Amino acid sequence: MKIEDSFVVAAPRERVWASITDPAIVAPCVPGCQGVEVVSPTVYRAQVRVQLGPIKAQFAVEVTLVSETPPEEVRSRTRGDERSLASTLSADNVLRLRALGAAETEVYYASEVAVVGKLGKFGLGVMQKKAASLGRDFAAAFKERVEAVAVP
Amino acid sequence: MLFFRPGRVAEAVALLAEHEEARCLAGGATLVAMMNAGLVTPGALVSLAGIPELARISAGTDGGLRIGAMTRHNDTAGSLLFHAGQRVVPAAAARIANQVVRNMGTMGGSISFADPAADYLPALVAAEATVEIAGPQGPRLVPIADFVTDWYTTALEPGELVTAILVPPAPAGSIGIYEKLDRVAGDFAIASVALVLALEDGICRAARIAIGGCGPAPVRLVEAEAGLVGTTLTDAGIAAAGALLAAACDPVDDVRASAAYRRAVVPRLLAKTIDRARRALAA
Repeated sequence: MKIEDSFVVAAPRERVWASITDPAIVAPCVPGCQGVEVVSPTVYRAQVRVQLGPIKAQFAVEVTLVSETPPEEVRSRTRGDERSLASTLSADNVLRLRALGAAETEVYYASEVAVVGKLGKFGLGVMQKKAASLGRDFAAAFKERVEAVAVP
Repeated sequence: MLFFRPGRVAEAVALLAEHEEARCLAGGATLVAMMNAGLVTPGALVSLAGIPELARISAGTDGGLRIGAMTRHNDTAGSLLFHAGQRVVPAAAARIANQVVRNMGTMGGSISFADPAADYLPALVAAEATVEIAGPQGPRLVPIADFVTDWYTTALEPGELVTAILVPPAPAGSIGIYEKLDRVAGDFAIASVALVLALEDGICRAARIAIGGCGPAPVRLVEAEAGLVGTTLTDAGIAAAGALLAAACDPVDDVRASAAYRRAVVPRLLAKTIDRARRALAA
């Protein structure tokens, strides 16, 4: 399934770039994310909890940066394992920043996500809606965090 | 896993408070299937089967109904206590899955799971029902329109359970119709329409429309209904209401149908449902 959205941050592109490539800033904005571990400059690990109705999932997620074009684009690959539900997710992600003005940046993201295992039974349609709502939660948290930083 | 079978609602509430990972077991039509599939592994089950007050439908003197949360779909479908527009509820019950599931499944269990493609929620929205909830803070009432808060998410707080669904008397002379588009009989809805309609000399006196299967919760729009009340229900008027409702839908793409198909089908399904209601009222 494809997840795609964009949001606008009231901050210059350089600052948004510095924030969105910093796991210490990004991780707290990801709903249900905890225990971030920087394995190497291009590999991060974290635990992400997601609940959909009665189903509770906890993914051990590994994000690998594939390419970086500062301050415009990041491509990454995500792999997540959910042991108790015997499910895995994999995603190819792209994130692009576009300057809308000196102090305004559009963040565009798109992921091609595949879910395999018991969770696959639940139906991708609803998962896509859930992912979209998690994406909006992330955007709100990220905006708040980045826009709160005083302009130097 | 622990298993409890309390005899009173208060005991069930106490057990849910005591065991954080507990889940209520109503009919088991969904929960047991999900447990079998390994998707849900509750630490404890609190069966509601031993609480007699939950398994009754009773009528008040004003014609309002109290449907116990443990009322099986078949008992709802066959109940003669529903009158006029209230009959949208048994009409929906009769369209749920198959005989076996209707013997197992309960109204409280179904709405608590809040499957967007299931049949009760749109019918209860059209019937303007209220959900009666018990919990550690005592009982409370939630209008059905506020009960589903997101995909598969309800207003139920941890430790709370649905005890009954209250269905008020329907508008005088109204009729309740439930229409569902499904791939095969008994499947979940691609889209559904629950309608409570009253006509007087060909003029629409009341219209309540709820669309199922096209978003996290049933879609009901005051402006769509207002455009129909007081009219003779012309094709153009119905199409306009259908277009408003379709625009308000937020359907998923899934194995049953694409989101675009669901939106396209809503106005047609509405026209079909109104046509059925008119014929039934004329007969």
